[in-house]
Amino acid sequence: MHGPLIDTLARQGVTRRTFMKYCATLASMMALPPAAGRAMAEAMASAPAATRRPSVIWLPFQECTGCTESITRSHSPTLEGLIFDAISLDYQETLMAAAGHQAEEALHAAMKANEGKYLLIVDGSIPLGLDGAYSCIAGKSNLDTLKEVAKGAAAIVAMGSCAAYGGIPKANPNPTGAVSVSDIIKDKPIINIPGCPPIPVVMTGVLAHFLTFGSLPEMDSKGRPKAFYGETIHDRCYRRPFYDQGKFAKTFDDEGARNGWCLFELGCKGPVTYNACATVKWNGGTSWPVESGHGCLGCSEPDFWDAGGFYKALSMPADPLKMASTAAIAGAAAGVAISFANRGKKSAAKSAHETTTLADLEK
Amino acid sequence: MSIEAIPVVVINSSENLVAADSGLSGNAPVLLREIAELAHRLLDSGEASAIDLRALPLTPADLEWLRETLGQGQVVATLEAEGESMLSETVCPGVWWVTHHNENGAVASEFIEVTFVPELLKAHPEDVKIGLEHLELLISDLS
Repeated sequence: MHGPLIDTLARQGVTRRTFMKYCATLASMMALPPAAGRAMAEAMASAPAATRRPSVIWLPFQECTGCTESITRSHSPTLEGLIFDAISLDYQETLMAAAGHQAEEALHAAMKANEGKYLLIVDGSIPLGLDGAYSCIAGKSNLDTLKEVAKGAAAIVAMGSCAAYGGIPKANPNPTGAVSVSDIIKDKPIINIPGCPPIPVVMTGVLAHFLTFGSLPEMDSKGRPKAFYGETIHDRCYRRPFYDQGKFAKTFDDEGARNGWCLFELGCKGPVTYNACATVKWNGGTSWPVESGHGCLGCSEPDFWDAGGFYKALSMPADPLKMASTAAIAGAAAGVAISFANRGKKSAAKSAHETTTLADLEK
Repeated sequence: MSIEAIPVVVINSSENLVAADSGLSGNAPVLLREIAELAHRLLDSGEASAIDLRALPLTPADLEWLRETLGQGQVVATLEAEGESMLSETVCPGVWWVTHHNENGAVASEFIEVTFVPELLKAHPEDVKIGLEHLELLISDLS
């Protein structure tokens, strides 16, 4: 196991054993079998040296900068940081020193110099209302900028739920006409990394894959990397055994909650949410929502904001995050809902699209 | 969604054996059989294998039970690499408990490895070469 990457790491004081340990952990996070860690170490360490670092252009649209915060604050200068050192981040408004015309020049220079080869990262949704006037940079609408920059990209990473699915800007009634990257760009490979914000290591994993193999990793039907979004939160949850035994917390301060039982009845969206929080955790592996005693909000699924209340137990077996699309299904869902969680307490939800009120929280 | 609507239901045969409020899920004891299977494989074919403990539905109490049951063997090795890693042999030789901590001290990943010597402990030939260069430098300084 030797090659340019391992030599670069060695120069920065990272030993082979450290790298192997990192790969073992990354493989575990990617839900790969333990033996894959060594295979990844071999593949990454022996990847041919790029003559120059791959160019990355990062465009922010209708977003809150939470995705950038998640990525940049996730790690002390460690191996993940070193993998970021292996790219050339040529345009990122929040991080770059340049501003105004200088910044736009940098963008166009990078696009020209690396045409057809750069990786485009997008965070935020794109507003189509009022001819895109809701969000403009340098006098151009986000729609025009995206089309222009996407043209020369090798691949596009839609970072966060807004870029991947429209996210919170698209929430009912979607005043700006927000749409996702894949609603606009149809002729480029696009990988979605949803989450509000997404897990930093997913970004690192996708980037490591792009650096190693020059392509995007295997994706599911919603364009997400299978390695991280292959299973639901529920399937990988350490509280899952309590679900199987029928042991549920009924309120946030009852005996069940204190014993760490399943949060299904308190509205946990884990069973319908595909993400890696249960294994990767947050804040350097410190904890994650369910471990802190709160159910999953389902933030990495399309239209999670309109899925009918964070504290309502899931009420239908199919894909409740999509149930608003047809009134008939919503009606059926309401029927099941009465028979289950909110039995006799309230009238059925007429539609999945409703405001979360204090009454929901006090269910 | 009704509780029965989710298709996969694990039936815990040992559920009756464990106390209700101990935090034990009943998923740990079955792992002993899997470890035995892997130990057979090691003896028969020399093939090493590992179980990713983070990939299994185990509660903290389950992990503690497993750790206690497997016990502490004669060998404990510590690796300092972006946080501490502990590789310790259990009472069953060839069965290793491997815990990787990150630089904040949190557990980054945890495995049971069934192998004669964990791969991480062996020195890589490339590293031995570097060590040899260093040794030769030390020797040349003697004269």
